[in-house]
Amino acid sequence: MTAVLVIEDDDRIRLALLLALEDEGYDALGAATAEEGLRAQRHHPADYVLVDLMLPGLDGFECIRQLRRDDDVPIVVVSARDGTDDIVAALEAGADDYVVKPVAIRELTARLRALRRRARPLAAASTPDPVPAVAFGELEISPEAGEVRRAGQQVTVTRTEFRLLCELAEHAGRVLSRQQLLQRVWGYDSGDERLVDVHVGRLRQKIEPDPANPRHLVTLRGLGYKLQR
Amino acid sequence: MRRLGLRTRVAAAFAVGALLLSASMALVSYELTRRSLLEDRERIALRAAYFDAAVVHAGLDTDSPDVVEVLRSLDTGGNRRPVLHLNGEWYARTADPGTTTAIPAELRRIVAAGEPAVQRVRVAGQPALVVGVPLSASAAYFEVNSLRELEQTFQVLALALTTVAVLVAGSGAALGWYATRHGLRPLTAVADAAGKIAAGDFTARLTPATDPDLTRLSSSFNQMVDQLARRIERDRRFAADVSHELRSPLQTLAAAASVLARRREHQDDRTAMAAGLVAAEIDRFQRLVNDLIDLARSDQPAHRAPVDVVELAEEACHAYDLPVGVVQLAPEVPPTWHVERRRIAQVLANLLDNAVTYGAGPAAVRLCRDGGSGVIEVDDDGPGVPVEDREAIFDRFVRGRAAHTRGAGDGTGLGLALVAQHAAAHDGHATVVDRPGGGARFRVTLPGSLP
Repeated sequence: MTAVLVIEDDDRIRLALLLALEDEGYDALGAATAEEGLRAQRHHPADYVLVDLMLPGLDGFECIRQLRRDDDVPIVVVSARDGTDDIVAALEAGADDYVVKPVAIRELTARLRALRRRARPLAAASTPDPVPAVAFGELEISPEAGEVRRAGQQVTVTRTEFRLLCELAEHAGRVLSRQQLLQRVWGYDSGDERLVDVHVGRLRQKIEPDPANPRHLVTLRGLGYKLQR
Repeated sequence: MRRLGLRTRVAAAFAVGALLLSASMALVSYELTRRSLLEDRERIALRAAYFDAAVVHAGLDTDSPDVVEVLRSLDTGGNRRPVLHLNGEWYARTADPGTTTAIPAELRRIVAAGEPAVQRVRVAGQPALVVGVPLSASAAYFEVNSLRELEQTFQVLALALTTVAVLVAGSGAALGWYATRHGLRPLTAVADAAGKIAAGDFTARLTPATDPDLTRLSSSFNQMVDQLARRIERDRRFAADVSHELRSPLQTLAAAASVLARRREHQDDRTAMAAGLVAAEIDRFQRLVNDLIDLARSDQPAHRAPVDVVELAEEACHAYDLPVGVVQLAPEVPPTWHVERRRIAQVLANLLDNAVTYGAGPAAVRLCRDGGSGVIEVDDDGPGVPVEDREAIFDRFVRGRAAHTRGAGDGTGLGLALVAQHAAAHDGHATVVDRPGGGARFRVTLPGSLP
């Protein structure tokens, strides 16, 4: 059974979410504080983490950063705050997706399913033809192995970042719009484009020699993003 | 008529004042100069006439005097013409025809009475000065002095003085304009700052004036802006707090409702119905909160970026299970508009929702242009909107009549208000008109969205 950790300080919200998620077939575990959640994730790693931003003690942003330090578990922020600053900060801290309260359970599980597709990139997806590794200058992507190397050195990327990179690599030299990327990577029919921008920014920090002047992952103003040699 | 501006009025007052002053000065100096010149001239003419009269008197003192010869012997130059009245006869030099008739009768009478006299007349249209000197009981000597040169001097003087008066008036106007510019500078600064604040820049302040007369203005203005900014910040924080406080319990309700919905088959009919009502109302409540939050935020200017509106319109149709065929892009209109994606997506969704709820579904979604403005038109097959409702329909919490008769009540009553606000955020507006052939046509213009 797929395990979900819900880090939420409001007892009623946490309880309602746990009930609803269990109904949907998840093995749901609750934590009232960030510290409790981090401890739970260390001892019994869940497959997904849902986290609120306003938490007593350690706040949601710090919680995401610490979770991200240990592993690449998909993290979805479930917050009542929908300001651009909060969304961008949470995504930059390492969250994979962001939903604003109140979110319908159908919508939440759809987001988790989309993450699941990403969470097991291509190793589990038994593609008949093994996808060969592709190189962009000193950047090397092995979809099969789920690895990214820069100048021979392995780069640690999250699963979402990896899916984003693979999607761009698959269409190397061609522009993908933010909406196309949202649809292909996050499974959104129409979503928040900031999700793409922040993930691209994070990816650049890891794969570009000079992230401020990207050479491989370039922005085409008003059109989208492109991966090039 | 439009009232003239303060600056124009001040400049005009300066000009009129300067003109009055300089004109009266000019008039007075003209009159004084003219009088003194004329008096001088009369004195000189009189003295010359006395002298000439003495010469003539001596010439006539012989037994048989040749009158004409005597007159001719006078050294009068070109400007003085001598005339002699002797024993009832007029004598003049042959070179001066018509001078005899120039002597006015009144002057003759005074001279005949034995008094010398001076009178100004016009001879053949030219100004002249006639001087009469009695010689004896039967003889009088007259001299006609031309005043043409003097007259010309007066004309030049008048012209010069008029020019000076006009120049002074013009300088007055310029001075007024210049002075008001300085006087109005603080007001211009206030207008600039107010304009910035109206555009949403609450950091705009007046520099505390170095001029003590203006300190009050700038300090009260800055205080006002501070208060306004504080109030707006408080409102914004309040909206954020309210949204947060409303959204959190809604999350509990939404999750709990889904748990209830999953167990519908285990519930008796009445429980299932009640659970259904709760779920539907939670859904509406959620949309209401979202619309309210959007509305509270939508007064900020749009963050524009290139957006494929055709794609957006088709996505919106897809969400309402409508055929994408209703979306029409007018010929020669580019599909990419410079708008804020989120807002326009909501405009399209709300207009489609409106058409589905009140207008029997949209007949067409047209994307056209009006100059540099992108125009979104949504037509429906409904009963149309009565003229008296066409403005109110864009107000908050106003629902169409159809909603009451149908008892649907599913809308939040904020959809069209949001459409209007999103249009306004793009400096545009939303209107509704009759669609040719029946139904309503909602139209949203978005200036600056097309090149």
